[in-house]
Amino acid sequence: MSVSDIDQRPAKKRRFFVEESPIEEKGPFANGLPADHHDASSSTSINTLDETLPDAVPPASSQTDISIHNGTGENGEDGSVGFDKQTFESFVGDKVATATFDKLREVSGDNMELAINMYLDGSWNTAPVAAAQPTRPTSSSIKDAFCSRLPERNAARLKLEEKEPQIKTEKREVLERMPEYRYVGAFGVGAWATKSGTSLLGIGEAIKIERTKIRPPVKIGRGGKAVQPAKLSAARMRVDVIVRVTNARGEEVARLPKETADWVSTLMDQKVCRFDGGCFLAPERLRVNDTIELQLRCSLLRRAFEASGFRRPEDNNRTTGIFEEKETSEEKDLRLRQVALMKLFDEINLHPSTINDTTAKHKRQGILQAAEIAEQHDKDEESKKSTSTPGGSSTPPDEEAEEGKELEQDQLDSLYKKAQSFDFDTPTREPANTFVMDLRKYQKQALHWMMSKEKDEKSDSKEISMHPLWEEYSWPTKDMDDQEVPSVAGQSSFYVNPYSGELSLDFPAQEQHCLGGILADEMGLGKTIEMLSLMHSHRSEVSMQASESSINSVTNLPRLPKSSSSVEPAPCTTLVVAPMSLLAQWESEAAKACKPGTLKTLVYYGSDKAANLQNLCCEANAASAPNLIITSYGIVLSEFNQVAARGGDRGSHGGLFSLDFFRVILDEAHFIKNRQSKTAKACYEITAQHRWVLTGTPIVNRLEDLFSLVHFLRVEPWSNFSFWKTFITVPFESKDFIRALDVVQTVLEPLVMRRTKDMKTPDGQALVPLPPRTVEIEELELSKQEREVYDYIFTRAKRTFNATMEAGTLLKSYTTIFAQILRLRQSCCHPVLTRNKAIAAEEEEAAAASDVANGLADDMDLQELIERFTSDSNSGEQDIANKFGAYVLQEIQSQENNECPICSEEPMIEPAVTGCWHSACKKCLLDYIEHQKEKHTLPLCFNCRLPINQRDIFEVVHHDQDEAEDLYNATQPGEPSKLPRITLRRIGNSSSAKIAALIAHLKALRLSNPGTKSVVFSQFTSFLDLVSLALTQSNIPFLRFDGAMSQKARAAVLTEFAVASAKKNGHGMVLLLSLRAGGVGLNLTAAKRVFMMDPWWSFAVEAQAIDRVHRMGQDEEVKVIRFIVGGSIEGRMLKIQERKKFIASSLGMMSEEEKKMQRIEDIKELLS
Amino acid sequence: MAALPKRIVKETERLMAEPVPGISAVPHEDNLRYFDVMIHGPSQSPYESGVFKLELFLPDDYPMTPPKIRFLTKIYHPNIDKLGRICLDVLKSTFHTPFLQTPTRLTRAGNWSPALQIRTILLSIQALLGAPNPDDPLANDVAQRWKEDEQAAIQTAREWTRQYAKA
Repeated sequence: MSVSDIDQRPAKKRRFFVEESPIEEKGPFANGLPADHHDASSSTSINTLDETLPDAVPPASSQTDISIHNGTGENGEDGSVGFDKQTFESFVGDKVATATFDKLREVSGDNMELAINMYLDGSWNTAPVAAAQPTRPTSSSIKDAFCSRLPERNAARLKLEEKEPQIKTEKREVLERMPEYRYVGAFGVGAWATKSGTSLLGIGEAIKIERTKIRPPVKIGRGGKAVQPAKLSAARMRVDVIVRVTNARGEEVARLPKETADWVSTLMDQKVCRFDGGCFLAPERLRVNDTIELQLRCSLLRRAFEASGFRRPEDNNRTTGIFEEKETSEEKDLRLRQVALMKLFDEINLHPSTINDTTAKHKRQGILQAAEIAEQHDKDEESKKSTSTPGGSSTPPDEEAEEGKELEQDQLDSLYKKAQSFDFDTPTREPANTFVMDLRKYQKQALHWMMSKEKDEKSDSKEISMHPLWEEYSWPTKDMDDQEVPSVAGQSSFYVNPYSGELSLDFPAQEQHCLGGILADEMGLGKTIEMLSLMHSHRSEVSMQASESSINSVTNLPRLPKSSSSVEPAPCTTLVVAPMSLLAQWESEAAKACKPGTLKTLVYYGSDKAANLQNLCCEANAASAPNLIITSYGIVLSEFNQVAARGGDRGSHGGLFSLDFFRVILDEAHFIKNRQSKTAKACYEITAQHRWVLTGTPIVNRLEDLFSLVHFLRVEPWSNFSFWKTFITVPFESKDFIRALDVVQTVLEPLVMRRTKDMKTPDGQALVPLPPRTVEIEELELSKQEREVYDYIFTRAKRTFNATMEAGTLLKSYTTIFAQILRLRQSCCHPVLTRNKAIAAEEEEAAAASDVANGLADDMDLQELIERFTSDSNSGEQDIANKFGAYVLQEIQSQENNECPICSEEPMIEPAVTGCWHSACKKCLLDYIEHQKEKHTLPLCFNCRLPINQRDIFEVVHHDQDEAEDLYNATQPGEPSKLPRITLRRIGNSSSAKIAALIAHLKALRLSNPGTKSVVFSQFTSFLDLVSLALTQSNIPFLRFDGAMSQKARAAVLTEFAVASAKKNGHGMVLLLSLRAGGVGLNLTAAKRVFMMDPWWSFAVEAQAIDRVHRMGQDEEVKVIRFIVGGSIEGRMLKIQERKKFIASSLGMMSEEEKKMQRIEDIKELLS
Repeated sequence: MAALPKRIVKETERLMAEPVPGISAVPHEDNLRYFDVMIHGPSQSPYESGVFKLELFLPDDYPMTPPKIRFLTKIYHPNIDKLGRICLDVLKSTFHTPFLQTPTRLTRAGNWSPALQIRTILLSIQALLGAPNPDDPLANDVAQRWKEDEQAAIQTAREWTRQYAKA
């Protein structure tokens, strides 16, 4: 049977009831313990290997123990006293030569335990005699050595550290010299024999549980891999979970079944538990593969409670190798440990006596499952050859593929909703008098909250509750034999964090020692101002003194800091890290908000960053140190790289990383949402007393986004990624949304302050009162021509729909139908939109060509025309026609004889001219043409009865004298009376009901509110093209903003729109925006009118667009007009919008297919 | 009845203020679209010294469609039938009304234009009286006679005028 076969053996396990246990504590059992301890903890090879785990300790400690015991002579059964050949031989089960024995004794330094081990693993031969004693203690950490000192020493120590566990008062002699551990329970297990023979193991015989491979004195043969002394990789070690059972003589007789061994090995490897026990049932004559029933006693090692492998703030990875990546073996160990502990408690039937409410919701089972998933995930990754773990590569690209599932919008919404339970009764705080801006109430509340966070004041002295992640367990009072187990005064229970596998004897109070938080107020509520008020109101002692003494600061000359190699505190300085574009804004806001001279500001960017910050800001220069340093993420990253290149020498760099700031603030902190990005990593390394992040969106789309913030804030324990993963990511990914979000909420609640501008104070007031907003739906009639186009497309769409409905291929032809619906919607805007672009363009071209032939263009300057007509008066018919044309045009220009021949209006309303130069009102002219068309006759001129083409009707446009003409006037001052500049413009290009309505509105607006700016939204950029054409024709100034523009161009447009002043003709600037490009984030408060040219499927999108105008900073009423074509698909879209409001946001939970079905329902309605 | 379009108001006003010599048109008080028209027969025509009464109605879509006009006074004229209907191109829309669709007339489009007015139409009718056009007849028998024996026809016209169109 191969080794692997043995390992894979089916598990055998049996539970024994405590009462039944016949195991007696006997001498050999007791004697075996030190050896067991030693063996279980480490072989020498492991010692040298594993530096992080204090593996080196046990041999040293036991050695120390023994030697001290010797010295005190306290214990009769002491190792050295009993170090005689006979005992030794009984241990190793072998005859030992005297010479060998002496050598052993020498090498081991009179330590029987050590000696036995050396003998067994054969290392005594090579071990240097002298080296053995001195080297070992040094290899062990002081701490570990310390914790396994004498009982007296321990007692003394306990007095110092109040809640340290007491060592058990010795009930049995054997326990006296053991390292401290405490019994927690026992369980039965069926081990399987690895050896044949008789009297190998008697019933009731004490057994030892060992982890290390021993070289058995008796040849076992297939006993497994022989000792692998040298370099076992950590990974390989973990694969090996073999747990051996040895009898009193130290012979391996059995192994624990794999199932049990899995977790027992972890607990032993990680020094959490020790196991011992006795044989309960074993055949007299043992054969390989027989089942041996064992009763295992489990005790928690004291060390597990105090020297937990988990980072305390003072010894986390930052202080050691600050620029090193986090090790994943750590994360893995954690996971193994957490699983093992859970299994253990399960086995020994130990249940928590108290669980925090939060934890109660999440059953232990869930954690195990989560861990398993994680493991599976890891395996998958390994198999994918993704060499290592997150963060394994030293230079991950900035925008690495982010892990974690994206949150659906509604999940995000509900999360925010939970985080937004803002209490309007929270106390307020007035800012310091150096702060000159007026704060709104909610801003003062924020100030109060931030100050209490920074000063770590409890908002109210609530009863200290247990940390949400911990569970309380009671120590058993009786052992498996129903014997009293000594209790320790004041130590009736211990605490376990099932999520980290951490153990504690101290009551884990719920507190998050984070002197900062996340200020997540929605954009526009004044996060910057709130932060500035905090800077003024909470200063360090040093800073206060400095500012007082600065009045007579003649002596306060800049000094060099004491030592420049280390990280210096900068007690007066707040560091703000913001995106580059916001640096100037921070600077100006800071200047505005303070009394002159009370806040020294330094923009640490570009050429200004030559200064040695450390000299500038250190405590010695408190009086002159800048109070506020503003820098960009880019600078942080580049300095981070510089420091990293110097091997992490922060101090001598003299930059941002050489200081321990009083406060650091990350503005727009979603910049670091990807925890693997270099920028995020750089930011984590900034040291500061108080840490804040500002962001309107703490979670952009993944829960991991939040982790990065929490990690930056160093909120224990959440800043541990493995912790986070177990607790949040994994449950979330396994669809346990509620649980994950619940936990996120507990994380967020104490950390986050978030208000939205929709929030209402209890008396119904908005946080920031906004001027009213009216939304009006204007129903438009399509012109006949447009209606024809619409109807045509409608019938076609309906036909397709019905056909596919019958054929049952609706889902397949979904896109086709959708395209047709799109056409319909477009035809509501302008018929041209629906036409094939190429054809439309061709037609235009042809028309333009014929125009050129006829001497007609789309736009003709009247003066030029007249000149042309009069000048080329050569001869013949042409001449007559031209003269007449000139006459007519002059008439128009001088506005003489201006009665409409059709309606007799005088002057004509919107005069228009035919191609044969006859003028009438535009409407009369068009009506007449329409009338003739209806009668199916060729339209003729009302006057000369020449056939006319609708295309060849020209509008007369009077240009305002004042604009653009100023230039002419200046250059030609002599010209006495200028005729008004008039151009003829072809009508028909803007023939769309919506465009006409828009232009009419804008014209009316010019009269009623001259200079008012407007925003026009449409989802069709091609429609915006047409609108812009119409605007040009009507001489209305406009700007254009759409997705096709570069970032720079967009910014330019926005600035221009904000600053543009009204034209002299009274038209305010109009901004044309595509709904998609302009829906998010923009600030368009300069506008007071919004025109929505076409409806979107959900009003929310439109509302968001409207909110670009109606938002913080808007000081006037906003009027919104939504153009809807009556009796068309648009009207029905409005109905769907209504309905969608009621279908709760559950949409996010719908699958793609379901969404499609929903859409089809919509389409049915649309085409009904 | 809908408000009177500005065009009709203006035309009426002008007809009153600057009447055309030999023509008068007075709207009915109860229906301003309905006019009583008097046309003096042009001199040197068979209708000289006759005063002809006509009725004129402006339809709803005037001036898109021409006014409807008819002789009330009996008149012997090749282009005016027994019922007083007038065959005059400017009185016809640019389309053919069904009752006029006879093969001979199909080719002839109407010549009405919204730029024409009551005044111009009445002048045209006056001119028609001065220049009958038997080649485009409405009263076929009259036109026949006019072509065969113009003098006799003119004589008959004079008699009719004396008989029916007394001043």
